[in-house]
Amino acid sequence: MPELVIETKGVSKIFGGLTAVNSVDLQIPKGHIYSIIGPNGAGKTTLFNCISGFYTPEHGEILFLGRKIQGSSTDLIAGMGISRTYQNIRLFGNLTAIENILVGQHTKLVTNWLDAIIHTRRYRVENSTSLSEAKDILKFVGLEGLGDYLALNLPYGMQRRLEIGRALANGPTLLLLDEPTAGMNPQETVDMVRLIRKLRDELGISIILIEHDMKLVMDISDHISVLDYGTKIAEGMPKEIQSNDRVIEAYLGPGGAALAAKYQSRKRNNHA
Amino acid sequence: MKPPNLFRKSAEKGLVYSLVMIFMMMIGFHVVAANLMSKVFGVTVLRGSIPEVRFMAFVHILFAFLFGWGASDRQRDKKSRIRQGLITSLTAGGIIALFSVLLNYLVEAQIDIRQYLTAFSADSMRYFILNQGQSGIFVLFAIYLFTGLLGTILAIIFQSEKAQTSRQSLKAKIGEAAQTFSDKMPTLVKKHWKYGIYAILVVVLLIMPMRWGSYYNFVASVVGVYVIAGIGLNIMVGLSGQLMLGYAAFFAMGAYSVALLNAPTPHGIMLGFWPSLLVGVVAAMIGAVLLGLPIMRLRGDYLAIVTLGFGEIIRILLKSDLLIDFTGGPRGIHAIQGPTLFGRSFTSDSDYVYLILVFIAISIFIYQRLANSRTGRAWLAIKEDPIAAQATGINLRGYKLLALIIGAAFAGLVGGIAAARNAFTGPNDHSLMVSINVLSLLIVGGMNSIPGIVLGAFALRGLPEILREVETYRQLAFGILLIVMMLVRPKGLWPGSRPVLEKVDEEVVEEISTEIKKPKRKRTHA
Amino acid sequence: MIATKKENFLLKLRGSGTIIRYILGILAGGYLLWRLYRVFIVQSAFGLETWTRLLIAGLVIGSVYALIAIGYTLVYGVLFMINFAHGEVMMLGSFAGFFVLEATRAMEVNGPGGVATSFSNAYPGLAILLAFVAGMSFSALVGFYLEKIAYRPLRKAPRLIPLISAIGASFALQNAALLLFSPQTRTYQNPDILTRGQGWRLMINDSAVILPYTGVFTMVLSIILMVGLILLVKRTRLGKSMRAVAMDKDTAALMGIDVNKTISNTFIISGILAGSAGVMWGLHNGLLHYFVGFLPGIKAFTAAVLGGIGNIPGAMLGGMVLGLLEALGPAALDISFQLKDVIAFVIMIVILIFKPSGLLGEVLSEEKV
Repeated sequence: MPELVIETKGVSKIFGGLTAVNSVDLQIPKGHIYSIIGPNGAGKTTLFNCISGFYTPEHGEILFLGRKIQGSSTDLIAGMGISRTYQNIRLFGNLTAIENILVGQHTKLVTNWLDAIIHTRRYRVENSTSLSEAKDILKFVGLEGLGDYLALNLPYGMQRRLEIGRALANGPTLLLLDEPTAGMNPQETVDMVRLIRKLRDELGISIILIEHDMKLVMDISDHISVLDYGTKIAEGMPKEIQSNDRVIEAYLGPGGAALAAKYQSRKRNNHA
Repeated sequence: MKPPNLFRKSAEKGLVYSLVMIFMMMIGFHVVAANLMSKVFGVTVLRGSIPEVRFMAFVHILFAFLFGWGASDRQRDKKSRIRQGLITSLTAGGIIALFSVLLNYLVEAQIDIRQYLTAFSADSMRYFILNQGQSGIFVLFAIYLFTGLLGTILAIIFQSEKAQTSRQSLKAKIGEAAQTFSDKMPTLVKKHWKYGIYAILVVVLLIMPMRWGSYYNFVASVVGVYVIAGIGLNIMVGLSGQLMLGYAAFFAMGAYSVALLNAPTPHGIMLGFWPSLLVGVVAAMIGAVLLGLPIMRLRGDYLAIVTLGFGEIIRILLKSDLLIDFTGGPRGIHAIQGPTLFGRSFTSDSDYVYLILVFIAISIFIYQRLANSRTGRAWLAIKEDPIAAQATGINLRGYKLLALIIGAAFAGLVGGIAAARNAFTGPNDHSLMVSINVLSLLIVGGMNSIPGIVLGAFALRGLPEILREVETYRQLAFGILLIVMMLVRPKGLWPGSRPVLEKVDEEVVEEISTEIKKPKRKRTHA
Repeated sequence: MIATKKENFLLKLRGSGTIIRYILGILAGGYLLWRLYRVFIVQSAFGLETWTRLLIAGLVIGSVYALIAIGYTLVYGVLFMINFAHGEVMMLGSFAGFFVLEATRAMEVNGPGGVATSFSNAYPGLAILLAFVAGMSFSALVGFYLEKIAYRPLRKAPRLIPLISAIGASFALQNAALLLFSPQTRTYQNPDILTRGQGWRLMINDSAVILPYTGVFTMVLSIILMVGLILLVKRTRLGKSMRAVAMDKDTAALMGIDVNKTISNTFIISGILAGSAGVMWGLHNGLLHYFVGFLPGIKAFTAAVLGGIGNIPGAMLGGMVLGLLEALGPAALDISFQLKDVIAFVIMIVILIFKPSGLLGEVLSEEKV
């Protein structure tokens, strides 16, 4: 059994009468790209919000490296090493790109406002190291030379990458990516996939991914879970998910599996 | 065929323009405008007397011209632009003429309505129609019609493509000349010319207080006090994004600390200025904690209203009989003792100007270091997007509270200094008006920018003191200015910029910026 | 682990805001109870007649607050902004009514008995009606142009920008009134049948308590207006489109609702209510100057928040409650009447801190992640 980075045990989140996430158990191994897929409104983002501390689940436990984290606030969870990006980009638009990354380093830095006023030794040291680290991160996400642009002036694809850069800045163990390729053109998507792989392979970060682009998901994921109406309906390797009848029905509606099988066989016949 | 709504729109415009003019007359501003006009022509007018008639005519001509200039839309063709100008000028002139008929009637029938509308004295009404009676009405109509048309025609000529291209080429030539001039400069000057300007500024500021009369020193210290207050409020509003409308309460804490501890009445403690100033700063900081802790989770406009309520509570308490023995009630506290430094007590106005200058320098120093540190960036992040900021690990409450505390410390400091300078403090020195003044100077000048704050303080506090004529109209102008700034330049006159941290070579930037079509602008939002 | 230590510390610190809130709440509550005990049991300073008097004053002022508060709530409902200048809209309406009453008083007509008398006494109903029409229409006009000039261009801007514009508008209107009408305090000239201070005499504990005509008039009229407003919002097309715009501007626009027009209408309606409140305020209180809109404005906002902003019945309830608290509070706590404004502000702060959704309001939904 590999070491788990996140383990959820029976996590449920209820809004009013609506159960957005219903008793979900996940075991997410360290160093994997783990995708969560499902139709719209399946509770994927709600699950993310539970893990990153925006919501406190009504039932269940969330363990991060074996420690309970549900109920902690988002800033503390960020400090433990969970970073995230958002479905609709949430950069600090009127800060420059490099400042966004410096803000991302917040939990890693220690100097306070008094250090800043007096310019203590440790402030000066920290300042120069954090700045050079920030430049490295800019380079890593492919935004070298763009650090002094306001974040809101960057093109869409670059903003996505900058958001990942900000999330990387505090050296996270786990990265939650919420639809990182939404609204991107094919070239940008390819770049993004390369970047996500690099995150796992070079930095060894575990990644949980929400994504609608099935081709991408099947291509990139080590492991997939499928949510539908807040309930986990399947999990496994990409291959297993592709042929899972329940998953297909969740996307295509009842009878979907049969339809898909028919389609597949016709395609095969055409080939033959 | 002309567009269907051209007539109506132009007539509406004329109506609005004429209402502006009529409103100016109703508040008596036309006399002041003529007064300013006479100043432009170098004619001094005795205080309280009405300037010569020709200046009123000039004011009418000026406004008619501006109305004509603004009457037409750029996008339309010449013919309909002239038509627009004609309709607007006709409507404006017509309505103003009708209004003048009314004025003339009031003057001739000797009806006195000053009891209701203060500006309607016979002199002022007659002056509006150029002291001419009935013939003046026709003159006015003619002025608005013909000068308005002239304005439209000149606007068309000025905005024509030919004029625009020639202006652009002129601009380019000037730019080139400036470029060659700066190329010829030695690199030392090129890189550090800013410091040169700062040095000159500092020298001027050091010499001037001795040269100025005490009046200008008074103005300078008022502006200076507002600069420090503006820097403090900027930490709350500009950096951490908490709209504070009760800033004067912290002001009051500083002022009353100095007053109670360093004045002969009501307590006669006479602790000395510096210790009591320190107490004032600490009191303001404690006040910020007490106010801040419970209101941390409130958002934008709610926060504004609660802080407004807080400020008013403090003022009402200071004014009430409840604390009259302790704080002197509505009468305030007199004869507050000023500071002594190296055995020399501060007496003259210039002494205080120097004192305030020193504190301005300290404030700017602290502000600059904070704004570009981890703390400052955390504040800006909170202002931009509190939820995302918290998710990057920033403790929202802690940082918001810190901003309140530091901002309040500035207010306490400046309140104490102002109390000592005026040798007096009372509840009305700490009204909502003060809070709004400080906020307006930030908004007009530009947030997160020291030059902006200085500019704002000068524009809102210094100019009205110097232009005594418009003093009465200051508050009105404030209100209008706030709206206009929000509509036209929400970031202020001189908005702050973010520091250049990555420092990439120019060529590389050039190369990349062709990829990004947007201009390289580094501006923070108001 | 150092990090864990720091986290634990932070966790403890995090609770401190709530704890301090509750400590403050308990202290304040205890103080209040002690005060009430002193006043009612130990001192029993005031008799029933005084309380009745205060109750009447509270109800009257509360109904005025309620009318103004509805204006805040309506505007907040459709634009999510605090119309800071709303108090000034009321003040200008009050001035308009004042001028009409002055004019009708100056006009000489032959009264019913053939005696020469002023118009306002010969036809008091008509004079008052004219005053209300003038006040309402002027306030509506001011509200309409206020929105058009100062708020509409800023509808897409960050929230603080329209608020600052509103503060500017409040300032501008206040000072325009100051410059136009001079700083002097004026007295409303009521027609004789509505003379201030006169009313039905109620005998309580052998002393006369006056139920003033102006007060009853104010209460009745404001109730009529409020019922009318509720009918308007619930029954008419305009009300329906207002509710639609309040829920979702974009969708409402897609459904064919003219959003700009609906928002303008909202400002007109809130202006009408504020104008009538201004005239009532003038008739009942009598005093009028350029600053008269500021405090009622802030207090009515408090009332709107108290009831739950965005909620029309809430604004009515909030106005009444605030009026009563303000009238009864100083006596009940035995503090100086100078401090009655403090009561309103303290209530506002306490409500916003402990129950920002107000008495009847829904929980303001947190911004979505």
